[in-house]
Amino acid sequence: MSVYTADPRLSRFDPLERVFFYDDFDEGIRGWSELIGNYEHSPDSMLPEYKDMRPPMLSNLTMWDTGTAGSMEGSYALKLATRARAGSLATSIKRQTFRKRGQIQLECYFTFKPEASELRLSLDDVRAFGVLFDLQDGMNPEYRWMPHLRYLNAVDDEMINRWQVKGKTRPFHNIGDSGETVSHFHLGPENWDFVDCPAQSLCYNEIATKMNWHYLKVKVDLAERRFIGFQCNDLSYSGEALQHISIPAMPNLNCMLNTAFWVETNRDKRAFLYVDSVLLSGVF
Amino acid sequence: MAVRRSYTAIVERNVLWQGDFASEPYEAAWASEAIFFVRALDLSPDFEGGLASVQISADGIYWADEGTTFELPRKTDAVTFCKVTHFGGFLRLQGHIAPGDSIKVLVSLALKE
Repeated sequence: MSVYTADPRLSRFDPLERVFFYDDFDEGIRGWSELIGNYEHSPDSMLPEYKDMRPPMLSNLTMWDTGTAGSMEGSYALKLATRARAGSLATSIKRQTFRKRGQIQLECYFTFKPEASELRLSLDDVRAFGVLFDLQDGMNPEYRWMPHLRYLNAVDDEMINRWQVKGKTRPFHNIGDSGETVSHFHLGPENWDFVDCPAQSLCYNEIATKMNWHYLKVKVDLAERRFIGFQCNDLSYSGEALQHISIPAMPNLNCMLNTAFWVETNRDKRAFLYVDSVLLSGVF
Repeated sequence: MAVRRSYTAIVERNVLWQGDFASEPYEAAWASEAIFFVRALDLSPDFEGGLASVQISADGIYWADEGTTFELPRKTDAVTFCKVTHFGGFLRLQGHIAPGDSIKVLVSLALKE
């Protein structure tokens, strides 16, 4: 029996050789911060899409009708909450660097819901949630590359229930007046492509105050810059490498290994994404 | 030695308050004490000031006055604050700015176990 299967907190994961980080949010926020755009002199100089990506919080999943559920394991989960405005995004990021360009794998358990502010099904009130890596080669870098994976739950009144990836970002903009700062927004609604796999209807469980936890695994290869595949519950994709955003390496991002989650609301109602726990493993 | 966990959330950043305002709900059941800091990033000319009140909630949806009220800053980069304890699960600020006045704020919520 490996150390992973012997530990009840880790036996629900399938890590690669070594654990890079394991975040159980009963221990605190563990480096997951709010994502913010680049700026110079004033926050007014930020690209507007980056101005308000909401701070993450530690939630014990307390509902108006049934009280506290707690997280999947313990009391607290990482919670991302949008504003109550259709299209609002909440994004949280953990910033690391890598020591070797090997394979890495993110695993987590998550659940998502709209705010329970209406007593109705609310199945299509969350538009999407996702996870991304923001990566750059190390020595003599050629590329910065950004695998994005999102679950498109619904658009307006239409349920979609499909996984998507993104192959192209928006153009870069100069920020401020020094010529030193640029920014690009990569979480807009454009340039998403459906993954060649079936639709996946995730357990919603009837009302907005019932949360079921789901498993997600995402795998990339830093050496070959390949977005290898993913698994969500009983759906696995391991076909051709998935598309990712690729741009020329930038001046001060070598060995960057950033991981981010986000959630987007489909209505003028807050959307929530909860994560508990997150494990990043790799071959390094 | 175990140290007490703490966390500061920027619950509003570069947001313009005019008329009725309320900060976004922040969930903090893990914390036993909190300070709301409000820094004025910009103010309308001759800003007459205003009050912010702390509200608490069991669910983040329905709100009640906690009883703490404090003045908003009246100069750019001035900071005002209030301390709160025993607040349960959710916190926010709410208040009203006089007609014609506005204030652009940075609201930090400093939480401690």
